[in-house]
Amino acid sequence: MNGLTSHPYVFSVSATALGLACAGMLLTQETRRAGWARAMSPLVALLPLGLVLIAAGQVQLAWAALVTALVIALLARNEDDPLHSENALKMLWVLVPALALSWAGLELLTLATGTAYVQEQWAVLQLGLDQPFLWSTALPLSLLAGIVLLGAAPFHFWVADVMQGARPWLAPLAVASLQAIGARWLDARTAGIEAFPAGATIAQGLMEIATLVALIGGAATLAMQRHPERRVGTLASLNGALAMCTMLGRPGSAGPVLDPASGGWVAHTVLALTGAGMLARLLPVSTGSVSIAPTVYRRHPFVTALGLYSVLSLAGVPGTPGGRLWLEVARDLADSGHSWTLLALVIAWLSAFTVAMRQLRETLGVPTRFAPPSANVPAVVRATLAIAGTGLAVLGIAWISGGGPRG
Amino acid sequence: MRMIFTIDRWRAFRPDARHLGGALCGLGLAMLWIPSLLATAFGAELLAAAFWVWARATESPREQVARWSWLRRPAQALWLAAAIQILVPELMRTGIGRGGAVELLRWMQAGAVVWAGLELLAALPLSRPFSDLPGPLLAIRPWLPAILPAAGFILLWRHQEEWIGIARVRDIAAVLFLLTAWLAALRAFGRLQWLVSLRWLLISDSALAGVLVAQRVVRPEVSMLLWLGACGGRTFMLASELRSAAPRRGPVISTLWRAAGWLSSTCLSWPILLALGFGEHAHAAFALAVVFPVVLSTWVIVSRLEEAPERRMMMRPTPPLTLGHLAALLTLVIGPLGLITAARGGFQAAWPGAPLAFLPALLSGVAATVVLGWRRRAAGITADAPSVIVDPAQSPERLDAVHRLAALERVSERLRAGSRTLFRWITGFERRIVEQLARLGQTLISPMHDLHTGDAQEYLLLLVGLSLLALVVPLLQ
Repeated sequence: MNGLTSHPYVFSVSATALGLACAGMLLTQETRRAGWARAMSPLVALLPLGLVLIAAGQVQLAWAALVTALVIALLARNEDDPLHSENALKMLWVLVPALALSWAGLELLTLATGTAYVQEQWAVLQLGLDQPFLWSTALPLSLLAGIVLLGAAPFHFWVADVMQGARPWLAPLAVASLQAIGARWLDARTAGIEAFPAGATIAQGLMEIATLVALIGGAATLAMQRHPERRVGTLASLNGALAMCTMLGRPGSAGPVLDPASGGWVAHTVLALTGAGMLARLLPVSTGSVSIAPTVYRRHPFVTALGLYSVLSLAGVPGTPGGRLWLEVARDLADSGHSWTLLALVIAWLSAFTVAMRQLRETLGVPTRFAPPSANVPAVVRATLAIAGTGLAVLGIAWISGGGPRG
Repeated sequence: MRMIFTIDRWRAFRPDARHLGGALCGLGLAMLWIPSLLATAFGAELLAAAFWVWARATESPREQVARWSWLRRPAQALWLAAAIQILVPELMRTGIGRGGAVELLRWMQAGAVVWAGLELLAALPLSRPFSDLPGPLLAIRPWLPAILPAAGFILLWRHQEEWIGIARVRDIAAVLFLLTAWLAALRAFGRLQWLVSLRWLLISDSALAGVLVAQRVVRPEVSMLLWLGACGGRTFMLASELRSAAPRRGPVISTLWRAAGWLSSTCLSWPILLALGFGEHAHAAFALAVVFPVVLSTWVIVSRLEEAPERRMMMRPTPPLTLGHLAALLTLVIGPLGLITAARGGFQAAWPGAPLAFLPALLSGVAATVVLGWRRRAAGITADAPSVIVDPAQSPERLDAVHRLAALERVSERLRAGSRTLFRWITGFERRIVEQLARLGQTLISPMHDLHTGDAQEYLLLLVGLSLLALVVPLLQ
């Protein structure tokens, strides 16, 4: 197992392949509404998203615009579905201005330093030739797109919107790839910033405030969510905040988040979002009191258990790969002495754990004497739940034997 | 067809709620004894799951599930403590953890363990009144809540090293223990039903034992023995009440249980009063505050344990020595055994502290015995013709007894009503504070809710606002 897991990209490739396979299976459901070729054609468009997930640590920043455009196009393509179109519009309104503002920040930095290369920019700025006004304005702007793409609060709404409104074959891959490229953005834009201490101080301060807001805002929002899909979306947003926490202590080093050798964060995000996002669509809106279990549990208890495992893992419940990931991040924060962020992480974890357990209890519901509905949940849906849950279990076992998400 | 077969097979294997809950509860309680916090957290989660399994299978699942849903909070707190237990030693070993972060983690761990223990002990306003109501499992409903304070004490006792070292957490816990002992004793006195009173006595005694642990009065094994003597006996009595009030069937066993309850209360309170009143770190106000619950709980256990009236037409033959007799004898022995162990372990008692510390429980028990005897005599005299108008010229003694009994009942009822009012006032005040805090929290986080209205324009406005902030922040530097 160790030999296998130490191979670069093994986790991210396997998880992405499974995610794409699930998307492909779910697309077959669409063939009833459209023809086979038209229904399956988005699979080709999903491949670049998969590529970004596999090589998130290496891709250029221009990919952020490409991935955003691709996701918006895939959302806008389905004109029959009002939620899809609405999502496309929202993404357009949020992500495009964020990218534009950050690009403006990048251009301002280039203007101030005379070079577009990040490492050279820090070296030039360290010379102190220019007034700090320009670069100290440009630097926070240049990081904005990364935070928005990660879906960290207060920009967490788009993640929940996509998980609720987008088709199940698109939502997990879209969210995971946008988050991965967001992490890559922050990673690339702060690479080598320690060579320029004044800039490192501003970047560090901004990241610390953003992480605190992301964790506390995500935790507070999660507690209020009633739709299972939005709960999963907000959990994904907290997952993005986790990536920010990892980078907080060491600017310019995303470490286990984007490291292809471990691929921990990316692999976990893809699988957990696939399973949890799928299950969430089969569950009723929470009413605050107990009710009869949903059909999926009454007909297919074992598959539901696998889906719940994905939800629990996304929430960082102990015994799941997600729990291990949260623990690693907490260790990083304690290691780098970020006590307040650690406290915020604890609050976010408690909120996520509580909501996940509430979701579990709501899914199991109360026993009833009535027989479950005769119709089965579609086989591809069950297969998706099973693949994601089993994939996460294998990932957890691999981490146990291989020393965790750091590899 | 194959799927239907699978579901049927699954149903056939699925245990019923009663057995599943019992297994989860048993396993959970067993895991609380394991030193690892991870196991303890899992145990608390299983305990919460057991109550949930029972609650969802009742005839009123909505009400029962909501009533016992708070049990997840202690489990949640323990998961946090367990995560910190995994983190801190590694940070200490590698030496990479900064002092502030490690201190914060230790503080959070102590707080989490104490929170879990206090909540199970009904020492926090959030879950205070659970002992007023029966549990969710029909067969043992009145008894079931009794396991929660026991679980709370076991948890706090087993993991005392995690919280006793943090002075602020320990002091807050000690104050909350004391407040809980007061309130529980008040409630035990105020409630008319013997079963409910017993449940509250369990909480009062467990809270007093918590003071014993928090103040490090005696060695851990002694505090466990003293708690076991007091609460073990009450728990057995509570369980036996469900079997035709067995501890009150006959004069011998009821006297035995009364003596056992009195002695165990005395043994539990003696080291606390001695240490707080006359020890090295004596605290007069704290010691005086302990006297009230000791007096009240001893009074309740001695005066309220009355022989059950025999209503059966035909007596069943009962053996002279039953399990109830043995349990009462064991309860009688455990308390003194704990004190002997304490003395052998170096616990010292000096004049005049040693006899004075016995006084509250002793005097309360004596007074309760006197009043009990008096009430019995009066009841015995009036039993012949309770409803007949008594002629004062013919039977002045009987008239006097009737008057005395009526006066006693009046005083007793007024005191009970007073204690009920006081309990309701204090818990109502607590509840109002919690509600206000919750309302404040909701007000603070309501802007988060507004972000989910779904209007795309709001998203853009937010983005523009934050971008402006990003531009302004450097200017302010």
